Amino acid sequence: MKIFCSKDSLISGVNAVQRAVSVKNTLPVLSGILISAEKQSLRFAATDLELGIRCEIPAQIEEEGTIVVPAKLFAEVVRKLPDTMITIKEENLAITIYYYQSEITLRGYDPEEYPLLPDLIDPMSYTIPTLIFKNMIRQTIFSCAVEENRPVFNGTLMQIEGSNLRLVATDTHRLAYSISEVENPKNASFNGIIPAKTLAEIYRLLKDEDESIQISFNKTQVVFQFGLIYLVSRLIDGMFPNYKQVIPQTCETKINLSVKNFLEAVERASLLSHDKSGANIIRIKVESTQLKIDQTTELGKISEQIEVTTQGNDVMIAFNAKFLIDALKVIDTDQIIFELSGPYSPGVMRPLDNPNYLYLVLPVRIS
Amino acid sequence: MSQLTQALTEVEEKLRSLLEEVNQLIPYVKALEEENIKLKRECTLPEKETERVIANAEHIQGVAHDNLERLYHEGFHVCHLHFGQPLEGDCLFCMGFLRKD
Repeated sequence: MKIFCSKDSLISGVNAVQRAVSVKNTLPVLSGILISAEKQSLRFAATDLELGIRCEIPAQIEEEGTIVVPAKLFAEVVRKLPDTMITIKEENLAITIYYYQSEITLRGYDPEEYPLLPDLIDPMSYTIPTLIFKNMIRQTIFSCAVEENRPVFNGTLMQIEGSNLRLVATDTHRLAYSISEVENPKNASFNGIIPAKTLAEIYRLLKDEDESIQISFNKTQVVFQFGLIYLVSRLIDGMFPNYKQVIPQTCETKINLSVKNFLEAVERASLLSHDKSGANIIRIKVESTQLKIDQTTELGKISEQIEVTTQGNDVMIAFNAKFLIDALKVIDTDQIIFELSGPYSPGVMRPLDNPNYLYLVLPVRIS
Repeated sequence: MSQLTQALTEVEEKLRSLLEEVNQLIPYVKALEEENIKLKRECTLPEKETERVIANAEHIQGVAHDNLERLYHEGFHVCHLHFGQPLEGDCLFCMGFLRKD
């Protein structure tokens, strides 16, 4: 293999696939990036057998070939290269990178040992405008569970039904739900749990100039294609719980408040609410036209007051500040409706005049 | 005159046979009435039995719900996802399940 390309192209290829490189040392070849020079493109690929990413970058190919290079080292070398035309040559399972009058040689792995990224056979496919999908990911992904004891919560439920596309994520303490209307001419239908890591990668790699993202799927895998990127991911095995059952249909207190004012007040109060156990609990009191956050801790005292419009009962309730901040940061409207039903029932945030998003958060029981 | 006597005799015989017939019918009607009462009783019994079963089921359900609620408040999951596992804070699915119940 012998190719010529720019440093920027190499960096974009490495950046695109690097997060799919396996961090577990089960199979040494998986800690590498597969580089293939074919026809007029240079292709980078990486997989940890759960997630696989392939990316094409422009390059001048003089001699075709394939090699697996150690990902971490190759990425660091590429980032430190000068801004000039780079020549890469592969010989005897090693690559030599030439720039100016200098060169670096890195040992590689046998590409024959590298697993192929699967192409789905007879998949159903669906196309979504990038901006819509990116926003839906942003508004839901933070609610996925981090702990790995229950895999179904480490992903986001994606449902395609008619013209409706839904994303739902929960860690059992909070739940984020987003729905959009998207054209579905082939009437594709899908119901699967996509790992949060996969969606985070898509979010990171999707560029605003990518107009649409094509999703293809079968029962166990899903493929996302956009720009020059092909991303294949395993679906999480298991049944996502009935999320509709947990959404309260009624409420005792309805508060209409400004997202910005509430977010800033919660963020300030949370600075004083960190206790020794790591809990970050803030106490909220809603009385007719005022929402108050009074916090007294070992660190100091804060008293926040926001003008709000309320309907229903006064209430005193405590929340994990992080759970409120996470949602308030992704809500796009200026105002929200915050629905509460006493100090023990979940609170529901809905953007004002936007029925397509909902965030459910459990309060913290306080003495 | 003899014609009249004969006619009376005939009427008497007819009445006698009618009475006989009525006498024969009486036990039959009695048996039918008894059977009707028995059948009525049989018909109403399952209804009562169903009511009893429903009431019992509701009672058991109420007790089961109370037990699950108590289990939840003692700090264990009651949702099918984590049933019996210790709670770490409240669980949306347990609360949804208890509310729906």
